[in-house]
Amino acid sequence: MSVTPQSLKTLSRAWEPMSYGFLDASAKREIRRKMIKAVAVPGCQMPYASREVPMARGWGTGGLQVSLTLIHPNMRIKVIDQGADDSVNAASIRHFLARVSGAPTTLDTLQADLIQSRHRIPEEKLNEAQILVLQVPNPEPLRPVQPNMSIARQMHADADYGRMWLQLYEQIVRSGRVMQGASYPSMVNGRHVMTPSPIPRWDVPKLNMAQHLTILSAGREKRIFAVPPYTRVEPLVFDDVPYKVEEHHDLTCSRSGAKGFFMNEIPQEDGSSAYELSDSGFGVKHIQQSTGDAVTFGKTWYENGEMAE
Amino acid sequence: MAYVATRGGEQAIEQAERLFRAEMGEITPERVAEIKTALPYLIDRVMGEASLYDEDLAALALAQAGGDLYEAVLLLRAWRTTQPRLHVARPIEQVTLFTHRRISAAFKDIPGGQVLGPTLDYSHRIIATDVLEGARYVPAPVTPSATPAPAHQPSVAAWQAENDLVEMPGFDETAPEDIPDVTREPVLFPATRAHRLQSLARADTGATLALGYAAMRGYGQAHPTVNELRLCEAEIIVTHPKGTAFSAGRVKVSQAEVVSKKGDTLELGFAATLGWNEVKCISAATLDLNSKGAPKGSPTEEEFYLYHTEGVESSGFCIHFKLPHYVTFQSSLDAMRSAKKTGTTAEKTSPSKEPAQ
Repeated sequence: MSVTPQSLKTLSRAWEPMSYGFLDASAKREIRRKMIKAVAVPGCQMPYASREVPMARGWGTGGLQVSLTLIHPNMRIKVIDQGADDSVNAASIRHFLARVSGAPTTLDTLQADLIQSRHRIPEEKLNEAQILVLQVPNPEPLRPVQPNMSIARQMHADADYGRMWLQLYEQIVRSGRVMQGASYPSMVNGRHVMTPSPIPRWDVPKLNMAQHLTILSAGREKRIFAVPPYTRVEPLVFDDVPYKVEEHHDLTCSRSGAKGFFMNEIPQEDGSSAYELSDSGFGVKHIQQSTGDAVTFGKTWYENGEMAE
Repeated sequence: MAYVATRGGEQAIEQAERLFRAEMGEITPERVAEIKTALPYLIDRVMGEASLYDEDLAALALAQAGGDLYEAVLLLRAWRTTQPRLHVARPIEQVTLFTHRRISAAFKDIPGGQVLGPTLDYSHRIIATDVLEGARYVPAPVTPSATPAPAHQPSVAAWQAENDLVEMPGFDETAPEDIPDVTREPVLFPATRAHRLQSLARADTGATLALGYAAMRGYGQAHPTVNELRLCEAEIIVTHPKGTAFSAGRVKVSQAEVVSKKGDTLELGFAATLGWNEVKCISAATLDLNSKGAPKGSPTEEEFYLYHTEGVESSGFCIHFKLPHYVTFQSSLDAMRSAKKTGTTAEKTSPSKEPAQ
């Protein structure tokens, strides 16, 4: 009986220039661990190594690392940038994810298992089986009041958010309203203030007690944080000054006719503005419906321009 | 209606990259080899910032990026990070360095001597326009010295320590495999000394110079004197699982030691990097020297300079502003319009800081 002699070649797998899903196993393991920590302490920023990926920092490398860690060949991927599937960087990320994983892609929020997004949450509700990965440029909500990260970290540990409140108060005194545009600071699970990433104020209530898991990842700044399913996310507001989303309730999409969702403003030559749905996949569905195609709409977070209960 | 939303974006990015490469022609092994031999100092800079010592890969990255340094470094970093860490080499001591150039500005002469080695420091910077007229620029041959400088040199700081002039950092007992690795874990503050020096070793040369220069001009507490500057080669000694220690080859390294002249002893700032890059080492050592007690938010504070000299991150974030920002813009526009409408906006006050988007 012959015994095959053991060598490095027989004991190890053949060398390949790239691991499945680009990241090597040690990088994925670290990200898995940090994601679990982030889920365990909702809204708390967990530092991670944040490896370089074949895209420039600031272009979704944090979200990309999370997606690459979670991805498998049966996971259907949707990628949006500012709500649009056809934005050049969204196209680039989607192409890369599919190329290194073999995972199928989709433009339909309802069909997606994982949605990597830059600065929007889709208008159709996500369910418990779906994961939303938000790209984060600056993970630190305290940055405007405290640029030094080591001090900010201490402030989070002490739940010392007085200067956050003061900043909001000063805006009201100066401008008559809270001037924060996107990235509205929000209290997660009653303990940690997080930035929801620069999603519009319109999208922040979608995170509150949501069915889906949201992972927020900042590649350049090397921080992961999470909003687990059914977790409270409350924008910082004063009792007597209610939270205000963008006044898009009455706007109508000039391309699809849909009304009561977050819109892109398109300046017109005559000085006026036209509007179109920011959630491009949702817009396409409306257009398809109007031309007689069979389309399935999901339940939306907003109904008639108001956040549904 | 066949409405394919993605077509525009995907076609556009494909064609945009083709356009970028259209004028550069083929990338061939010959082109890569030519870059490697013709531009060793550029190769060194890229290897240092990528923290990957491989001249061929560095030359290839430069060719592939069309000479865009930030792109070349990112190509190498993204490759490097996927490669396994197989082994930790033996620590390198200064006296074992195979030294090509080693100078001290602190003393006229030093044990081991001043060794000028290869440098453009005293060259007259006159551009050789003749070459464009068809002449050849043939470098004159080097005349070897009758008594060559010793390859191994003692450290200047060691002499100063013996004479009670400088306080040497204590010996770090950390086992080699336990040394924190900045490529495998994030820098937290206060940073470990290993993280600080590793981070500076792969910092962007230009950024390190800018902040180091700020410290030199007076935005730091200490004015540096170059105690010792070295360009050398280091032997990489690794141990085979059977126990045999052997050399895996040599890498070019540069290092600088600067000292401050305040107080009753000299304080030491240190930096080293892969490849020969004097400007970076002197600047980085100056930052190291100045970090002790630096005020929060000053250019010589560790958190400030380590974050802002990280080239892959800073260049990436800078170019990300080209991405569409219309959702965040819309969100701010909405707040501005509604504030205007209610007309309660107080007199113009200093603009509040915008968050990064």
